[in-house]
Amino acid sequence: MIARRLRLPVVLLLALVVHTAVLPRVRVAGASPDLMLLFSICAGLVAGAERGALVGFFCGIAADLFLQTPIGLSALTYSLIAFSVGLVQGTILRLAFWIAPLTALGASAAGVIVFVLAGAVVGQAQLISSKLLVIAASVSVLNALMSPVVVRVVRWSVPAPDVGAKPVMAG
Amino acid sequence: MAVHRRSTRPRFTLLLLVLTSITLLTLDYRADGTGVLGAIRGGARDVLAPLQDGADAVVEPLSNVVQGIVHRGDLERENARLRAQLEAERGSANRAADAERERRALLDIMDLPFLGDIPSVAARVTSTASSSFEMSVVIDRGTAHGLTRGLAVVSASGLVGRVAQVSRQRAVVVLLTDLRSSVGIRLTSSGEVGVARGRGGEEPLRVELIDPSVRVAKREVVVTSGLQQSIYPPGIPVGRVRSARVRHGRLEQDVTVDPVVDLRRLAFVRVLQWAPGG
Repeated sequence: MIARRLRLPVVLLLALVVHTAVLPRVRVAGASPDLMLLFSICAGLVAGAERGALVGFFCGIAADLFLQTPIGLSALTYSLIAFSVGLVQGTILRLAFWIAPLTALGASAAGVIVFVLAGAVVGQAQLISSKLLVIAASVSVLNALMSPVVVRVVRWSVPAPDVGAKPVMAG
Repeated sequence: MAVHRRSTRPRFTLLLLVLTSITLLTLDYRADGTGVLGAIRGGARDVLAPLQDGADAVVEPLSNVVQGIVHRGDLERENARLRAQLEAERGSANRAADAERERRALLDIMDLPFLGDIPSVAARVTSTASSSFEMSVVIDRGTAHGLTRGLAVVSASGLVGRVAQVSRQRAVVVLLTDLRSSVGIRLTSSGEVGVARGRGGEEPLRVELIDPSVRVAKREVVVTSGLQQSIYPPGIPVGRVRSARVRHGRLEQDVTVDPVVDLRRLAFVRVLQWAPGG
């Protein structure tokens, strides 16, 4: 039985292996699924804004180690997207079955576009191409298809946050 | 009555993560892939390599079955095309032998680098890029085998790309079709030189700087020019002309080139241990 604290590092390692060695074989319209982005999105959905951003940061660093773009670009993108998803998640009372795929669809497309725009700001202008929207659409659809499985894995491996804000006495 | 106030800690955490990301970005961008971050990157690739190889061994048979089913029509058409091409090329083999003897004699006299004499390292392609924005492959050779950044990479048919990152056991090869790739080329019929740039995906290469007055034949072979201290030795086949169009008022032709190497199905490559002027 894996100690609870080891679940996330082990799962992240396995996800990284799948992301770099398995999923590049899956290409639709020139794009492959982005498992590390999806993991970040699901972390925001399951564990809230703060923990989602932290998971997104480390997922992004892991992904950056295997890319040509500067280290930190995916970390910046994934932490922002996961935080945003976590903020929206705070308004949802119950996680219905369709919320994860729908969230993955929209947040993945946003993640791809944010990655390209942030990359353009830091000198990676080659990321901007006429196929950006096609790539964003392909990645978002592929991620949405994987989301039901990934959200369950994330729920098992990422600790849920403490419930409730601190009460403040009215003056 | 108690009033619940939303904590500001999540925003503070996000700010900290954003600042850390920007710091890392800046440091890695300025170091241009070298330094501490470059070493961490290389180390991560080497550490993960055995796990990736294991996953590859498990997934590849299944992937081949799926690819065979999905691309069955393509495979049958390509089989027929290759049979026809083989028949045609058998007829010209004897004529080519005479031309080859003459070419070797000419190269010996002019002291040009002959690809067959350039030391090289054979490597196997282990994986492709994990990003939708990169056209690259990872090979199972690294600094431990004499590889360095910037070396040209070829296959049996022609040019594949260049080594962009290298760790002890692995190297990343950026393909010709990558958006950041450019290579000096020469048209074999006219000798005109230009620059071929990658456009990503399966798009043909775009060739720039070809004068509108130059006659460019369809299917004409283009090779590396080796000019201006290029990292690519001269004379390596790059591709065949797909289209050449002269537009009124333009200072150059619109030329596109299909790579001679099937970059979607790379299995084995050779890394040329060659430096400009060496």
